[in-house]
Amino acid sequence: MLEYLWLVPALPLAGFFALFVTEGKLPDKIVAVIGAGSVGLAALVALGAGIEFVQSGEASYSQTLWTWMAVGNFAPSISLYLDPLSLVMTGVITGVGFLIHLFATGYMWKDHQEPEGLSRFFAYMNLFVFAMLMLVLGDNLLVLFLGWEGVGLCSYLLIGFYHRDPENGYAARKAFVVTRVGDTLMAIGLFLLFRELATLDIQTALGDAAQLDSGMATAIGLLLLGGAVGKSAQVPLQTWLPDAMAGPTPVSALIHAATMVTAGVYLIARMKGIYDLAPAAQFAVAIVGLVTLLISSFTALTQTDIKRILAYSTMSQIGYMFMALGVGAWSAGIFHLMTHAFFKALLFLASGSVILALHHEQDIFKMGGLWRKLPVPFASMLIGSGALVALPFITSGFYSKDAILLTAHGYEHHGGLFWFGGVLAAVMTALYTTRMMVVAFFGETKTEPHDSSRINMWGPLVVLCVLSIGGGWLGIGVLDGLLGPINEFSHAHPMALTTMILPLIGIFLGWPIFRGQIDLSRLVGSTFGDALRRFWQSGWAFDWVYDRLFVKPFVWVARVNKGDAVDLVFRITAAVTRGLHHIGALTQTGRLRWYAANMAIGLIVVVLIVASA
Amino acid sequence: MAIEVPVEHVLLVAAALFLLGLLGVLVRRNIIFLLMSLEVMMNSAGLAFIAAGAKWGAPDGQIMFMLILALAAAEVAVALGLVLQISRRFDTLDVDAASELNG
Amino acid sequence: MTLDLALFWIPALVALASTLLVITRKNAAHALIYLVVSLLSVAVIFFVLGAPFAAALEVVIYAGAIVVLFLFVVMMLNLGNTSVMRESRWLRPGMWVAPAILVSVLLITMVYVIVGLPDANVTKGEMVGPKAVGNELFRPYLLAVELAGFLLLAALIGAYHLGRRYLEQRREP
Repeated sequence: MLEYLWLVPALPLAGFFALFVTEGKLPDKIVAVIGAGSVGLAALVALGAGIEFVQSGEASYSQTLWTWMAVGNFAPSISLYLDPLSLVMTGVITGVGFLIHLFATGYMWKDHQEPEGLSRFFAYMNLFVFAMLMLVLGDNLLVLFLGWEGVGLCSYLLIGFYHRDPENGYAARKAFVVTRVGDTLMAIGLFLLFRELATLDIQTALGDAAQLDSGMATAIGLLLLGGAVGKSAQVPLQTWLPDAMAGPTPVSALIHAATMVTAGVYLIARMKGIYDLAPAAQFAVAIVGLVTLLISSFTALTQTDIKRILAYSTMSQIGYMFMALGVGAWSAGIFHLMTHAFFKALLFLASGSVILALHHEQDIFKMGGLWRKLPVPFASMLIGSGALVALPFITSGFYSKDAILLTAHGYEHHGGLFWFGGVLAAVMTALYTTRMMVVAFFGETKTEPHDSSRINMWGPLVVLCVLSIGGGWLGIGVLDGLLGPINEFSHAHPMALTTMILPLIGIFLGWPIFRGQIDLSRLVGSTFGDALRRFWQSGWAFDWVYDRLFVKPFVWVARVNKGDAVDLVFRITAAVTRGLHHIGALTQTGRLRWYAANMAIGLIVVVLIVASA
Repeated sequence: MAIEVPVEHVLLVAAALFLLGLLGVLVRRNIIFLLMSLEVMMNSAGLAFIAAGAKWGAPDGQIMFMLILALAAAEVAVALGLVLQISRRFDTLDVDAASELNG
Repeated sequence: MTLDLALFWIPALVALASTLLVITRKNAAHALIYLVVSLLSVAVIFFVLGAPFAAALEVVIYAGAIVVLFLFVVMMLNLGNTSVMRESRWLRPGMWVAPAILVSVLLITMVYVIVGLPDANVTKGEMVGPKAVGNELFRPYLLAVELAGFLLLAALIGAYHLGRRYLEQRREP
């Protein structure tokens, strides 16, 4: 199977072309089969290739398809590179991707806003899977960058999927522009890397990385971090992700939870060799992760839209991954990426079922009492939340998060600080998760649900439930051997016990608070409490600051420069040319004999010139 | 066999023929006459080539004349087709009637 | 030399005179006859200058094919007395003044240039037969022959397209 690796990205691409060229003329059933089937087949091929790869015991496998271009010494090839890291990513993308596609065949069926858009939806989704696979399987940074921009494009297209509402178009543009900031940094980083090492091939570059002086390595590391921060919605480029929830829920699950937003984690993990040489850049990675982690967990506590809660939770979980990479818990970070893909996809899909059953109601305060009426989504949400909160021993999230926190504690630079931040965020995570579950699923019913989900919707939920629970043991059993030791600490360690127990406090605090058994209204209602709540709800006012700092001045400059001073030069040129044209057109009488006479006059002049020479 | 005359004489005759043709092009409004004048002009150019060829006793002049001949034949075939179209469309042979390309 | 000059100038004068008549006639058929005379006299000049093949082509193609083509068109357009009257209306004496001045200026410059040529430019007096022409034509000038072939093909297609009777009906919807 390994030699068929190229099929993994090729199948979704073929699906995209099939849907793209038929321009939505195919019947919906065939569209669903092509859309989900292409990713499903890719998942099967990836599974076969993965098993063969693991059995072969090789460190890596690469497959060169063709040379992209050849310019002097620069000849990047389109080639696929499979190693444990890209294998994990490929498995997540195709496996979780297939489950989400399957769910989407139910969720997007006869969609109320875009009933004609099924073909377009699956075309974009398939293109996204292709681009994401090229990102993780690419052998050189140019292919990686191609995939990187490709997923950005698909993200833009899918956030703005419900394009009839201008708000959604705005959200899509915001996502595109904000990530563009990061992408520009990353491109500069790649240019620097190419200038220094004269190659963009990842393995060659990492092998030669020792030639970099430490300042240059730090610069490249920081620039690549900039790209990762933009793509993974970390501080300070995180503002686009909550708005990106404007897209359909399967999109949020696939792109803005499971795969694309973890591309930044992948990039940093892939370029580990550079960060090893640049401790300052690596420390920056950890700081970015920690800050995002804290900011987004506090924000999630105050949100009311279920998808926005999950979006902020995604940001914080990716913050954990960044922190893990920063403090050297490399394999734990990738492990958390995988488990997070499972349980966050599960949470999004389950919330998608709820939203669909409530006719697109997303406000948790308008839900309530759903646990009896929507048992499958409730059970899925419960399991997903358990994994998010990291309930000890039974959930996958516990194993990965615990490994990160314990490694952070042992980190030589301010390890305790990172540990404390991580645990604090874990408590907050438990608190906001409990709040979401309690408010949405318990208490009195406020909106009557109409559960119409079928096997193609609850099937993926069940599979993801199993993965959210069993993923931890899968990780310990398989990833440990592939990626290197994940957790070098015993769970009996006193620090480990604290780490394990503290998040549970969040649940035990949260339950009575949000059930209304502890009255905090005086605290929350006070002036300070209210201000704090509004500050957190606005996402720590980042949007407000960016609006004042960048958007307003830019709009002001644009308004002042309405006449476009720079363009004046060209407009004058055009006006002069037009004037000359009008003069020249006077000679254009359309009379043949007039032209002949002019030619005769010209002949006289030419003959005189020739004769006098 | 052939005669010996100053080339200037032949060229003068060629120039005179050319200018008579040009005069016809400038004066006549009837497109048929205009085309005949054009034929005269091309013929005079051929005469100039033949004169040059005769000066050196080389065949190149005649070859250029043959190329001019091919050009004239092609021109006349297309132009007479245009004459038919113009006479149908404008119901006149006045060349100034077809002045739609003015600027 | 004098005889040679006479051999050249007699057909030359005939050619000039008949060309003058071509551009002044009002009846197209008459003008065509004078055009034939002009072309035939030029053919005589070709012959006496030592270019018998060119002379033959002049007679066959110019005086033959091309003029016959003109005649056909004149026939098709059925130019009768009304067109002669229209020509007299178009061809008022005042029309000749400006073009004549222009052409005279051009003539003066050309005569000035031609007379200013270096001395001893006398034709060689050799016959250059069809064999020499053919040898030259299909060796160094082969490319030109091909190009002329392309040109004639294009003209054929163009003439075919333009000659269709109802072309104008598709023009205006």
